[in-house]
Amino acid sequence: MKKWILLLLAVVLALGLGACATSTDSGEGDNPKQTEDGKKDKKEGDKDDKGEKVLRLNNGTEPKSLDPSIGFDSVSWTPLNNLMEGLTRLDENSQPQAATAEKWDISEDGKTYTFYIREDAKWSNGDPVVAEDFVYAWKYMLDPDTASPAAFLAYFIEGAEEYNSGDGSVDDVKVSAKDEKTLEVVLTAPTGFFLDLLTNPAFFPINHKVAEDNPKWHAEADTFVSNGPFAFESWKHEEEMVFVKNEHYWDKDVVKLDKVHWAMVNDENTPYQMFVSGELDVTGIPAELSDELIDGDNVYIGDQGGLEFYRFNITKEPFQNKKIRQAFSYAVNRDEIAEFVVKNGVKPAYGFVSPGFIGPDGKDFREGNGDLVTFDPDKAKELLEEGMKEEGYDKLPEITLSYNTSDTNKAVAETVQNMLSEHLDVEVKLENQEWNVFSEAQMNLELQFSRSSFINDYSDPVNFLESFVTDSYMNRTGFSSKEYDELIKKGKTEVDEEKRWEYLQEAERMLADEMIAMPIRYYNIVALEADGVTGLLRHPVGYLDLKYADKN
Amino acid sequence: MLRYTLKRLLVMLITLWIIITLTFVLMVSIPGSPFNSEQSSNETVQANLEKHYNLDKPYVVQYLLYIKSLATFDFGPSISQPNQTVNDLLGRGFPISFELGIVTIIVAVISGIILGILAALRHNGIIDYIAMGIAVLGISIPNFILATLLIQKLAVDWELLPVATWAGPEYMVLPVIALATGPMAIIARLTRSTMLDVLTQDYIKMARAKGLSPWKIIFKHALRNALMPVVTIMGTLLAGILTGTFVIEKIFAIPGMGKYFVESINHRDYPVIMGTTVFYSAFLIIMLFLVDIVYGLLDPRIKVHQKDGE
Repeated sequence: MKKWILLLLAVVLALGLGACATSTDSGEGDNPKQTEDGKKDKKEGDKDDKGEKVLRLNNGTEPKSLDPSIGFDSVSWTPLNNLMEGLTRLDENSQPQAATAEKWDISEDGKTYTFYIREDAKWSNGDPVVAEDFVYAWKYMLDPDTASPAAFLAYFIEGAEEYNSGDGSVDDVKVSAKDEKTLEVVLTAPTGFFLDLLTNPAFFPINHKVAEDNPKWHAEADTFVSNGPFAFESWKHEEEMVFVKNEHYWDKDVVKLDKVHWAMVNDENTPYQMFVSGELDVTGIPAELSDELIDGDNVYIGDQGGLEFYRFNITKEPFQNKKIRQAFSYAVNRDEIAEFVVKNGVKPAYGFVSPGFIGPDGKDFREGNGDLVTFDPDKAKELLEEGMKEEGYDKLPEITLSYNTSDTNKAVAETVQNMLSEHLDVEVKLENQEWNVFSEAQMNLELQFSRSSFINDYSDPVNFLESFVTDSYMNRTGFSSKEYDELIKKGKTEVDEEKRWEYLQEAERMLADEMIAMPIRYYNIVALEADGVTGLLRHPVGYLDLKYADKN
Repeated sequence: MLRYTLKRLLVMLITLWIIITLTFVLMVSIPGSPFNSEQSSNETVQANLEKHYNLDKPYVVQYLLYIKSLATFDFGPSISQPNQTVNDLLGRGFPISFELGIVTIIVAVISGIILGILAALRHNGIIDYIAMGIAVLGISIPNFILATLLIQKLAVDWELLPVATWAGPEYMVLPVIALATGPMAIIARLTRSTMLDVLTQDYIKMARAKGLSPWKIIFKHALRNALMPVVTIMGTLLAGILTGTFVIEKIFAIPGMGKYFVESINHRDYPVIMGTTVFYSAFLIIMLFLVDIVYGLLDPRIKVHQKDGE
């Protein structure tokens, strides 16, 4: 008798599972949106067979905003860089070239730029791109009510900082449309890298007619107007974006892709698994697989302008003493950290400014200034002894190294802890904090010795170096030197590029001598690319560019 | 019953208000600001941002603004996604999490109960050991490990199912299995132990003696009583699963609302923190209320309407 109960239960189990399966199906069927999408996917698949070139990328997350003034991060600016185009665009050597602007004049004093916009530069709705679109976009970015996090990038324009801080008027911002296709910009000082700065998405134009009509034009695909290589086809928030080739783009003949599909998978391993199963064409390398994959033929490794470094807080003991700070820096072997701890092909940092900034003499800034810090345990010991004598320490005060919680940060901090213990016989305590708590404490100079990272916003050494001027928001070390401030000021305003470069190199040397921050390693970009994917442009400073990308 | 319901509603509202206030206090007392990104910035930009989101106002004013926005069910714009309002985020994420959650619950409950009954009927037999073995595995394997394993085997190696994203019914299979295993195991164990208890009761013997058919005994008399503890955990389980799960949604790139619970706190996205907390609390409170009602239906000895005191 019991046996047939079991049999019955088995049948119920089977039915139950069947019911589940059907309920899954019917659940889906009840949702017309889902069905439609399913069909669309199939259609796309069909077109794929007909030879349409669709590049499948992962954007990680939903962009913060595709409003050029608001979305100040790489998940927003990477897609935006392919939808839009500024006056200039970076070429394959990461140099700014004429883009929406066909040509430009620069006045004798280097302060006034006159841009001539291409006759055939058009928006994806067919409107011509006019000078007023840039005036509108830049003034919108600087409006304090817009609260653009990127607004400070435009402070090189005369009147911009005053307007953004609420002290000045919009009319005093010196950017104007001379005529429909001519744009004039007056800068506060000759800025050698202004053409490069203009490739930054913050300086992209906004179709002022569309934006005046609908301020939320950038929030959905069907209202989005673009002027770059691609146009927005569809956008399912938090799910995917689809770009199509922009038929109104002035240089559309060089665009080879028909579509770009952006997934939003915010996980380290899943995108790699999608890449392996062919659902993505480009992806990053998960940390655990780095050793296995990094030497493959399909791996792209390139420089990224930026630095990971440790800040000394010179308002806290024992780091008020320069020699003690220097001793710490000499005791750290950066080669080992780069090669065995961070891995993924990163380069150790023996200076502050990352490689990739070419000076007026054609030489890289980094090469020109050489190695400013080295690994030298003997010298480190010597300096530590001297420093301790100067301060009258028998024993160093307790030192805590803080970092924001992450596996890599932890591994690097532990390595530095070991090196300090081994070479200096200094015991350092480690402490990790959640990012927000950590950065607030660092800003308020509550941390003694802490991790930091810097990613360039524009392609010039001054971008990093100016962080350390007196009272800068990014200073966070307590460092203040009139001499340094003066060098940076000159480094921003000098008309003679060679001299400007010299000032900046002197500033960097001073930073290394004062050792208020200890460089660890430079950042890089690592990507896996599927067979047949070519022409993706990545820049040390800038965003992924698909204009020349191809997939065969 | 009506009086009881009204009283419960009032208590629910007060509970919600306490949660809102506590959340607000906790929120403003943790260090950090929504604008602390790793990107460069300066004072002017920070000041403009604070002003834009009313964060330069005194806490009391901010609190009143929050209460006002809650009362009107308009949680305002998200700070980390300024083009979206919190209502947009929840309105888009919740249906997806809900859909996934409902299927998960159905799978978990049906398979859990069946496993539990099988194990109880074959107590200390081979089927019992197999069923409980599955249950122990289900409880002890964390769902994110199961998820990764499922993807690697079923999607990457055997290419039976898609790896991730959310584009059709076949995309639901792996996350449902990963999500349902844990609750299924809990339900199976609960069902087994109460079932064992119930099966030795006198009234079951009585029913057997009366000559009732075995399946009628199990499903009508035994199971109904054995389900009480399952119903008890259903309230929290439902609220937890239906409002989305951070880890599984992240691994499978499902655009549900699970991520907002965690990310809003990491980003100090105050409106989203408030929105998700209030939404989840309200949902949980209602679920618990429903569970109380279901008790009464399952077990006539529990009379909900007499609770408000005689």
